[in-house]
Amino acid sequence: MKLLVCIKQVPDMESRFRPNSQGIWFDENDLAWRMNEYDEYAVEQAVQLREQVGDSAELTVLSIGPDRVVEAIKKSLAMGCDRAVHIRDDHAATKDPWQIASIIAAYAKGQGFDLIFTGMQSQDRGSAQVGVTLAEELGYACATTLVGFAYGDGTVTAKRELEGGIKGVVKLATPALVTCQLGLNVPRYPTLPNIMKAKKKEIEVIAVADLLTEQPLTATTSFHPPARKGGGVVLEGDVGVLVEQLVGILKDKTAVLR
Amino acid sequence: MNFELSQDHKVLQDAVRDFVEKEIKPLAVQIDEEHAIPDELVRKMGEMGFLGSYLPEEYGGAGLDMLSYAIVVEEVSKACGSSGVLVSAHTSLACGPIYTFGTEEQKKKWLPALNSGEIIGCFLLTEPDAGSDAGAIATTYRREGDEFVINGSKIFITNGGYRGTGVLFATSDKSLKHKGVSAFIIDLNSPGVEILKNEKKLGIRGSYTTAFALDNVRIPAENLLGQEGQGFKIAMDTLNGGRIGIASQALGIAEGAFERALAYSKERKQFGAPICDLQAIQFKLADMWARIETSKLMTYKAACLKDGKKNYTMESAMCKMLASEAATYVTREAIQIHGGYGFICDYEVERMYRDAKITEIYEGTNEVQRVVISKLLLS
Repeated sequence: MKLLVCIKQVPDMESRFRPNSQGIWFDENDLAWRMNEYDEYAVEQAVQLREQVGDSAELTVLSIGPDRVVEAIKKSLAMGCDRAVHIRDDHAATKDPWQIASIIAAYAKGQGFDLIFTGMQSQDRGSAQVGVTLAEELGYACATTLVGFAYGDGTVTAKRELEGGIKGVVKLATPALVTCQLGLNVPRYPTLPNIMKAKKKEIEVIAVADLLTEQPLTATTSFHPPARKGGGVVLEGDVGVLVEQLVGILKDKTAVLR
Repeated sequence: MNFELSQDHKVLQDAVRDFVEKEIKPLAVQIDEEHAIPDELVRKMGEMGFLGSYLPEEYGGAGLDMLSYAIVVEEVSKACGSSGVLVSAHTSLACGPIYTFGTEEQKKKWLPALNSGEIIGCFLLTEPDAGSDAGAIATTYRREGDEFVINGSKIFITNGGYRGTGVLFATSDKSLKHKGVSAFIIDLNSPGVEILKNEKKLGIRGSYTTAFALDNVRIPAENLLGQEGQGFKIAMDTLNGGRIGIASQALGIAEGAFERALAYSKERKQFGAPICDLQAIQFKLADMWARIETSKLMTYKAACLKDGKKNYTMESAMCKMLASEAATYVTREAIQIHGGYGFICDYEVERMYRDAKITEIYEGTNEVQRVVISKLLLS
């Protein structure tokens, strides 16, 4: 069984973001980087399946980006992926989801992956398009926003998160692709011995030019912080007046009281 | 010269940080108040490989290098100085000498259980009348057939309360001074080993500091570590490496306090603005950070020299001295930045201040470090 998990390295979300010189994305200097949180759940689920299936399964982790993304790749290898593909691209951040999905599809086509895992979305761009687009390009069945996963006899049973706290269960025949929601599992810590073992695992490097044939379909034209809001509203008066004012605001401006 | 961590070290640092943030930081107050590190946490640190990081894989270690070990102790100590010294004393002072001076049989017998954290190790050198003057130890050994018989007492033994495996120093004849000292591997569950007490302390309260009485303790002859009479060399060599661990612990404590002080200085408003707008606070932060960075560079340098199998005696003495003095300075200033809140237990910098002090004392007082450094300068 051939498994693939696609991961992205994103800035630490605690960072202070500044627009870059073109004003179309954030400035990448002085940022700390980590694995996209959604992808940690994808890696964990893929590793669990790899362990369930045993040595007849092979789990590849793939990431697109500059050399620094190897840090996220190595973390995945230490969590239990067998091998890695690094599609080296210094300009991955400016590619649109269509191009990213097409690059992965160009790699994955003909490789015979039975199951592909991705995060539901990235923490930085947040388009949630790469997974589903990749499934479409490969002609795979696809389920998104997984909060539960089981596999047996060529069938994936996926529990999906719907709106309003409702869950749905769908079954997919492989080959298939699933996108993983936060809370799907408990991602394991890479242990020190496994970090050491990961150093010996293969990381195949492919230049992005060898896989990229598509033009972007969308372009980001501006990146900016939200406009500064004015100061908050300070209510004044005795308790009765405060309560009346507060209830009025909750009724008029929120869905809390209707 | 390149002052960047390698990609592999960054991966490790990130993994350790993640574990510490979720598993150790929430327990730090409890560990201090209850004077104990939960067994469950010790087990988890063992599973993570924290208790045998730089020992080879064939003996159950993680097979990483000294720099990785320094990073582990530093990151753990950012959240909890007690847990930091557990890792440091166990790895540097018990696993370390058994690996460096042990026979193949000794390594195979003792290291796997130590490196997995199943058994916690300690280093039994200090005695009531032999601290910095380690050649003055009075615990004796004599040979009887296939055994050594040990009599004496040991104090201030970090991790002693776990009754695990110890590296013990004893003399055949006190008048021989350091030439009479030999090292032994001891199972602290042996008959005749009695715990007199676990000390109550100013800081690192979660860490055991134990006093032992040794009354006719019989150790199999095969547990002699190195040659007879080599004990003093083993002790000094071990402490040499151990200082990198203590420097890392001190560095972590300082960084933990700095992070809190920096964050607090941005939140706390006085005179209508955050106190970090005041130059008095800015200068404190600058002084604290400069000392942290200096200590970090020297600690990492000492670790890299050891990894490169180069002489690191000078650097390990300097990093221990610099980092411990940075730790007491930074934690004190962190309290000052917090004002009255810093004196209150809820803000945790007071614990870091208490935890920091010992790093100037143990594994060679800073006065001893200055002796080491100046001797090398003048030799």
